[in-house]
Amino acid sequence: MKEVLAYPANYWQTMYEIWLFVAVVIYLVVFIPAAIFLWKYRYRKGVNEKAQHVHESKALEVLWTIIPTIVVIYLATHSFAFYRVQRNAPEKAMEIKVTAFMWGWEFEYPNGKKVFSFFNSVVNPETNTYLKPEEVNDMFKAYLPAETPVKVLLTSRDVIHSFYVHPAKVMEDAVPGRITHMWFQINKPGEYWVFCREYCGTQHSKMAAVLKVVPKEEFEKWLNQGMQTSEVLNKGNL
Amino acid sequence: MAAVSYRPYFSAGLKEWLFTTDHKKIGIMYGITSLIFFLIAGLSALAIRLELYQPGLQYMSEDAYNQALTVHGVLMQFWWAVAIWGSFGNYLLPLMIGARDVAFPRLNALSYWLFFAASVLALLTFLPGNHIRMMWTGYPPFSLNENAGPVAFYALIIHMLGASSLASAINLVVTNLTMRAPGITLRKMNLFLHAFLAMNVIQILGVPALAGAVTMLLMDKYFHTAFFDPTRGGDPLLYQNLFWFYSHPVVYVMILPAFGLISEMIATFSRREIFGRTSMIFAIWGIAILGFMVWIHHMFTSGVPDWIRILFSYTTVLIGVPTGIKIFNWVFTLYKGSVRFTTPMLYTLSAIFMFLIGGLTGIPLGLPAFDIAVHDSHFVVAHFHYVLGMALTLAVFGGFHYWYPKITGRMYSELWGKIGLVIIMIGSNLFYFLQFIVGLEGMPRRYADYPPIPEWVRLHELQTIGAFILAFGVFIALANLILSTKLGPKAEDNPWQSPSLEWLIPSPPPPHNFDKIPHMPEDWDPYNYEWLEKQHKKA
Repeated sequence: MKEVLAYPANYWQTMYEIWLFVAVVIYLVVFIPAAIFLWKYRYRKGVNEKAQHVHESKALEVLWTIIPTIVVIYLATHSFAFYRVQRNAPEKAMEIKVTAFMWGWEFEYPNGKKVFSFFNSVVNPETNTYLKPEEVNDMFKAYLPAETPVKVLLTSRDVIHSFYVHPAKVMEDAVPGRITHMWFQINKPGEYWVFCREYCGTQHSKMAAVLKVVPKEEFEKWLNQGMQTSEVLNKGNL
Repeated sequence: MAAVSYRPYFSAGLKEWLFTTDHKKIGIMYGITSLIFFLIAGLSALAIRLELYQPGLQYMSEDAYNQALTVHGVLMQFWWAVAIWGSFGNYLLPLMIGARDVAFPRLNALSYWLFFAASVLALLTFLPGNHIRMMWTGYPPFSLNENAGPVAFYALIIHMLGASSLASAINLVVTNLTMRAPGITLRKMNLFLHAFLAMNVIQILGVPALAGAVTMLLMDKYFHTAFFDPTRGGDPLLYQNLFWFYSHPVVYVMILPAFGLISEMIATFSRREIFGRTSMIFAIWGIAILGFMVWIHHMFTSGVPDWIRILFSYTTVLIGVPTGIKIFNWVFTLYKGSVRFTTPMLYTLSAIFMFLIGGLTGIPLGLPAFDIAVHDSHFVVAHFHYVLGMALTLAVFGGFHYWYPKITGRMYSELWGKIGLVIIMIGSNLFYFLQFIVGLEGMPRRYADYPPIPEWVRLHELQTIGAFILAFGVFIALANLILSTKLGPKAEDNPWQSPSLEWLIPSPPPPHNFDKIPHMPEDWDPYNYEWLEKQHKKA
């Protein structure tokens, strides 16, 4: 079996491939006859000066009403089946709480440990340009265990933001006054981006965070290491 | 008729233009205002593309970028994609139905001047202190925040536009339904007018929802009500529901008349009636009605209940069916036709095939399983730029060329028209196709800056190059149209040999269109090209 980088991105990938196939076929079904007609029935002096009369063809019209209806209903039903899995976290998922604010993220783990990531923690302070995920200071990174499903409970402290996990290809809005949810699982240890996908003002385009996915044992060790970030915050050392 | 001498309507003096109630002059004023704002929005798009050329902020601050994006969105949608139909509709409707003017000419002038006032207000937002930076959607609670800019300004602009559209929509629906000359039945009415009628009905039903939403926004911000503010018990999703209840159907306000123009032009240049004309009319109304039942797909990731996402995914993809019917009918209109590759025909064909890409990439956005990865990404941006930025704009430019001899009495240069189109097609496909790919790779929309992921950087560079090629093509196309008003050769009254009523009167039309209200004979039809030939033989 092919190794999957992240769930539920695999479902998205399959949906994407099905759609792409259908779309290319439909494009060709329209384009090829059109190209033939354009060539064959082009105006030429003395040869094709006048159009012939064809008003309509009931059979054709029924055909191109019914077939597309079946195709789109098939696509929507396929999506429905996938979406149930993409939406509903597996039962054994680890639950974390993510609170968005202008402009950054607060990650809260089951044991109460918190990590804060700010818009200016993902940029080089001198040039104000994005760092590579590896260059971001570890204390701003949300650690996650590899090969473990993670359920995210989302909310926002001020305006609407959106939590988009780049490798897992899944997002959900963080709405103030509501708790929304999503889940994902990243299998390969590494550092990955999270972006805000709902416009939220000046630093919207820097409202990113880094997920540091590490093997389970390493994650457990990190989780019980005490509240790194809040200690730093107390020292006013940002 | 040709012997009668009169001053063409467009050589009128300033005073006559300012106080006119003539639908043709009002149509032209709509068109010029719309084009000016198209250019402003286009320039702000170039600024955006320049900023995205490389990661980092090189040319502008985040706030300036967010303002440019808001300006681009609002102007392109309301001033270009919607208001341009004020131009085509006003100009063509009375001519196509054999009327001397619209039903309420003064109300028509009021509509334009309200639109003009909104235009002035829109320009005033460029002044320091007036910058609006909340995107055209203006979602609360962000829009209640100081960072968003003056919401009152935005609300006033939307209300003026709304009043203008409502007055205009009612006026034109009444004109369409009550003032058709004898012999022009609904069955024989031009397809553009069917589309235009549906568009105006959507406006009448939809505008109040948007007006309500921005009014509540205004009250929340300045009078401390709590419709949308969650800290005082409001619900921000209520705004999204009200907003999209209008703002999804508004995309059909934009695209249905474009479909109408495509139908007009493809019939004329294939020299035959549109294939499956009845199903075309049903498809228009099918789209208009279904269009009101799909708005939740803009909110698939907003926290609405899951079951409603699934329900709306079915209604959303079903819109593909009537749209598909239209595309197949256009293709089969070419079948056994006598196809002439004039500039407007090439624009029409380009519009159809670009719309097809836009439509096919719209289907997966209606599938939540696909949408959760690309919602608010550049994939969505590319999708609606294929539909509106390309299909609509190409159809409108095709329309500019097609009715150019009718409006100005002169002919544009075919060669430069075609050169302009080729450059536009190269630029826009390079630009928007790569936008799909960067979107699939995850690039979020409304980002002034992005991380230096190598593929993203390369894709953004090429997109920016594409955008500038596109701008150059638009420049050539418009320069051709503008210069030809002076340099173009005199056009015949009916250069395309179309039996549609607007072509049966002199070009440019006389001030009152028809000296006598025409009685259209039984065998006449706007797409009966043989009828016209018979008339020529008789003469």
